[in-house]
Amino acid sequence: MIGRVPRRGVAAYAGVVALVAAVPVVFPVSPYTHNLLTFAFLMIAGSLAWNWMGGFVGQVSFGHATMFGIGGFVAARLILSGALPAPLAWIAAGLVAGVVALGAHPMLRLRGPYFSIATIGVGEASRVIFTYWEGFTGGSSGLSLPIDPILKYQLYWWGLGLAGLVGGASWLLRRSTLGLQLLAIKADVEAAADVGVSATFYQDLIFCLSGAVVGLTGGLYASYFAYIEPSDLFGFDRSIGFVLMAVIGGLGTVFGPILGAVVFVLLRQNLLASYPELYLGLYGGLLIVIILFEPLGLTGLGLRLARRVRRAREGRRS
Amino acid sequence: MTNHSRVLFFIAAALGATTAPACKPKAAARAEKDAIVIGATLPLTGSEARIGGFFKEGYELAFEELNRKGGLDVGGKKVKVRLTLLDDTSTQTTAVSLADRLINSDGVDFLLGTYGTNVVEAQSTVAEQNSIPYVTGGGAATAIYKRGYKWIFGTLAPVELLGTTLMTWIAEQQAAGKLPKPAKIALVWENTSHGKDFRKGISDFAEKSGGAFQVVVDESFELNGKDFSPLLGKVKAAGADMFLADAHLPDYITMHRQYVAAGLCHKILSYGARGSEKAAIDALGQENVTYILSGVWWNSQLADKIPQSKLFADAYHAKYGAKNPEWFQALAYETARALFTAIEQAGSTDREAVRAKLASMKIPSLLPGGTLEFPAATGAQVQNPFVLQQNTPEGKAPIIYPKEIATGEGIAPDPRCAK
Amino acid sequence: MARFIDLAFSAILQAGLYATMAYGLGLIYGVLRVVNLAHGGVIMAGAYLGWVLFERWGIDPYLSIPIVLVASFVGGAAMYRLLVRHLPRGAAGGPASLLLLFGVWLVLRYAGYRLFTGDDRTIRTTYSTDAVSLFGSFLAVNRLAVLGIAVLVPVGLHLLLRRTYLGAAIRAVAQNPASCTIVGIDVERIYTITFGLGTALAGLAGLLAATIFSFNPGFGSGELLKSFVVVVLGGLGSIFGMALAALILAVVETFAILVLPSYLTAAVGFVMLVLVLVLRPGGLFGQRVLG
Repeated sequence: MIGRVPRRGVAAYAGVVALVAAVPVVFPVSPYTHNLLTFAFLMIAGSLAWNWMGGFVGQVSFGHATMFGIGGFVAARLILSGALPAPLAWIAAGLVAGVVALGAHPMLRLRGPYFSIATIGVGEASRVIFTYWEGFTGGSSGLSLPIDPILKYQLYWWGLGLAGLVGGASWLLRRSTLGLQLLAIKADVEAAADVGVSATFYQDLIFCLSGAVVGLTGGLYASYFAYIEPSDLFGFDRSIGFVLMAVIGGLGTVFGPILGAVVFVLLRQNLLASYPELYLGLYGGLLIVIILFEPLGLTGLGLRLARRVRRAREGRRS
Repeated sequence: MTNHSRVLFFIAAALGATTAPACKPKAAARAEKDAIVIGATLPLTGSEARIGGFFKEGYELAFEELNRKGGLDVGGKKVKVRLTLLDDTSTQTTAVSLADRLINSDGVDFLLGTYGTNVVEAQSTVAEQNSIPYVTGGGAATAIYKRGYKWIFGTLAPVELLGTTLMTWIAEQQAAGKLPKPAKIALVWENTSHGKDFRKGISDFAEKSGGAFQVVVDESFELNGKDFSPLLGKVKAAGADMFLADAHLPDYITMHRQYVAAGLCHKILSYGARGSEKAAIDALGQENVTYILSGVWWNSQLADKIPQSKLFADAYHAKYGAKNPEWFQALAYETARALFTAIEQAGSTDREAVRAKLASMKIPSLLPGGTLEFPAATGAQVQNPFVLQQNTPEGKAPIIYPKEIATGEGIAPDPRCAK
Repeated sequence: MARFIDLAFSAILQAGLYATMAYGLGLIYGVLRVVNLAHGGVIMAGAYLGWVLFERWGIDPYLSIPIVLVASFVGGAAMYRLLVRHLPRGAAGGPASLLLLFGVWLVLRYAGYRLFTGDDRTIRTTYSTDAVSLFGSFLAVNRLAVLGIAVLVPVGLHLLLRRTYLGAAIRAVAQNPASCTIVGIDVERIYTITFGLGTALAGLAGLLAATIFSFNPGFGSGELLKSFVVVVLGGLGSIFGMALAALILAVVETFAILVLPSYLTAAVGFVMLVLVLVLRPGGLFGQRVLG
C-alpha cells in the first residue's frame, strides 16, 4: 500500500454503506424504490469493475456484455438445475466469466483503438453465437427462473454488498502498488516495460478480475429479473451501458462510476417514461461535452465546483 | 474532508434524493377510489413505435367506450376506468421497472400487457411476483404461458397455430391435386421466439403428414439482416415447391426484394404474419406481392362475419375515421374488454376474484372462432384460429380460410411458377 | 455449379457494398488516425437524406448522389471543426476520440428518431426489383450500381491523391503532420477536408444502402463493424487494399453458408475481425501509408 490506509476514510465509507443498508429497514420504502435501488447497486458494481480496465489500465472495452451474459446464463442454469443455491451460483458464474476473460489474452497486446474494436468484434460474435446456442441460453426464447420474492427482496443487500466490496476494492486498488503499475501501463506501455512492469501479466489479471465481477453481477441480474435472454444480456447496448456509466461518472476515477451508474439508472427511469428517446440525445451530448471539456466527467465537475467554493471561501476570509 | 469522501457524500445524497420522493406510504396513494386504475406500458417510441401506437389506439378506444357508458358496474356502483400508460421503448429492463413502478408506486389495480414477446415475458414476471392480473394481447410465444404462472392471460393465439393453419389449408390444396405430393418446403425463420414457434408449427405438421410434406431447407436468420442472397441461393438450390418464411416487416421487405430480383418463384409463398400490409405493398410493388399468403390474428373483413367484430370496427371508425383497423388495434381492444368483463363479473376490484373470473371466462368475442376463453391447459393462452389471407392481382386480400368466415377463394399454385 | 456461380456473384456484389461503406472510415483513419465511431450514424444520415429527397421531391436516388455527397461533406467538415479538432492527439487520444464520436453517433440516432420516428423506410423506385441475368444468375440492378461505385471510388481517390496538389498535401499530412507545417501546408485545413471527404463517402454509402434494403434510425452498427473488418484487413490507409479486403470478407461470409447454419454466418465477419487484429494487426497487406 502507498502510505497507511486512512482510518477516517474507511470509517466514512463503511458508514455510508451501513446507512444505505439500513434504509429499507428504517423507512417505509415502496417496493418500487427498493427494487430500483437494487438494480442501481448491480449497475454500480458492473461499472466500477469495467472502470478497472477502461479507466485504470486505459483499455476501453466495448465488449464487456460478453462476460455479463456468460455470468447471467451460468447462474441461471445452475439455479434452474437446483445444483446450487443462488449466492453460490452467482459466485460460480463470476468464476466462469473470469476464466473466459482470460481467453482474451491475445487481444490484450493491442493498444488503444485496436483493442476497443477487437472487443466490439468479440461482443457481437458472442451475441450471435450465444443466441444460436440454445442448449445453454435457451436461444432467442431465453431462460425463465422460478419466482422467489424473498430472494428478490434480499437482493437489495446482496447487491449493496457486492457494490460496496467492488467500490472498496477499487479504492484499495488505486492506492496500491498494483494501482501504480496499472497507471504506468496506461501512460506508456513501453516505458512501463522498461521498469519491469509487464503489461501482459497485469492486463490479464485486471481483465480477469473485471470480467469475473461483471459476470457475478450478471448472475445477480438473472435472479433479479427471473427472465433473461441473449439479445438483452449480450447486446451492444449492454456493453455501451458500462462505458457510458463509467465515462459520465468519471473515467479512471475511483468512485466516479458509482455516480455514473446512479445517473444512468435514474435518467432512464424518470426521463424515459415522460420524454422517451431523449436519453440517446442526452447521453450522446453528455459524452461529447465530457470528452471535450471535462474528461473526468461528473466527478471532475464536482471537484471543480468544490475547488471554486473553497477558493471563494478563502478569498472572503482574507 | 478528502476528495473521495466528498464524492461519496454526494453519492449518498443522490441516492437519498431518489429514495425520498417515492417514500410516500402506499395507503395515501390508494386513498381516492373513485376510479379503477389500470396500468400498462407500450413501445410508444423506439423500433416498435408504430405498432405500439396501434395498440394504444385499441386500448384508448376500449376505455373511452366504457366510460361513455358510465363505467363498470362494480357491486352495484358505477365506477369509471382510467388508463395509466407509460412508454417502455421495447426495452426489457425498462418494461420491468415501469411495471414495478405502476404496481408499487402508482398503485394500479390491474395491468394490461405490452407488445413484443420478450418484453411481455420479462414484464409478466413482475405481475406474477406481485399477484396482480396481467392480460396481454402483445405476446404470442408459448414460452410465456408455459411457466405455470396463475396471473397471466394471453389473448394472442400461439404462432405455432399460424404455421399449423397455413399447412392445413395447403394440405387441402394438395389433396385437391393442385400441389405435388410429396411437396418440398423451404422453411426460413427469424431467430426469435416468434420464428421458432412458426417453425415448430410447420415442421410438426410436416412430420405428421406421413411423407406428404418434406422440409428440405430449415434455416434461421438474424433479425434485421441485410443480405439474404446466400440464404436465398440455398433455397433456390434446394428446388422446393413452397417457400415458407417468418419475418418481421423490414426483413420481409428486404428479403422479398432480393427474392424477386433473384428471379425466384415458388408455388406457395408466405412470410408468416406478413403479406398484405400497405407499407409492404408500397415498398415492394403490388405485382410483386401477388399470391402471397399470410396468417393474422384478426382482419377487418371479419366485421362482415362476426358480430363482435362489426361492433368493434364501427366503434373504431367512429373514433379514428376511415382508416382500417388491423389486428393490433383489435387485439388491444379485446384485451381491455376481457379485463373489464372480468372485473364486472367479479363485482369487485379484488385481484383474486378478478383472476378467477378471467380463468373461467367464456364470452363472445371479435376473434376468429367467435368465443374468448383462456384454457388452463395452455397456460391461459387463447387458441383461437388464425385467418389466412392471400393477395390478389387486383390488389385485394380476401380471407381464404377458415371456410366459415372466408370472403374469397385461395389460389394455388401461383400460376406464374407452376412447373 | 450454378450454386457456385450464384454464391460468387452474391459475394462480389456484397463486396461492393462493404467496400463503399468502408472507404470513408479508412480514409479518416489513415490520415487523422481517428476511429470514426460516428461512421454508422453518418451512413444512416445519408440513407435518410436520400429517402427524404426521394419521397419529398421525387429525386431519383442516383441523381441525388451529388446532393448527398455535398451535404455529408459539409456535415463532416463541421463535425471536425466543432468537435474532433479539439481532441488530444496520439495514444492518449485513443479512448477520447472513440468516445466523442460515439457520442456524436448517439446524437445522430436521437435526431433520426425525432425527425423520422423508428418506422422502417425504404426507397422504392420502378427498378428496385429489376435484375440482370448473367450465367443463369440474377444480379440486382441496384447492387450492380453499388459495385460500380465501389470500383470507381478507389480510382477517383487514387487520382486525387496522386495527381493533385491537395492529394499530395493529404499524403504528406498522413505521413508526418509536424513537418507539413514547416513546408507551409495548413494541416488543420487538410484534416477538415479529409474528414469531410470521409463522411461524404459514408453518406454516399448510406444513400446506396437505402436503395437496397429497409432501414431505421438504429441502422448502422452492423455496417460500422463490417467496415472495421475491411479497414483493418486492408491495412492502414491502403484504398485498394480495402477493396480487396472487402472482397475477401464478402467471399468468406457468403461461402460460409456451405459449412455453417445460415444464422451463424452473421458471426463470421466479427470472428474475422478479431482474428485479423490478433494475428496481423497490420492488415493483410502490412502497414502502408495512404496510397
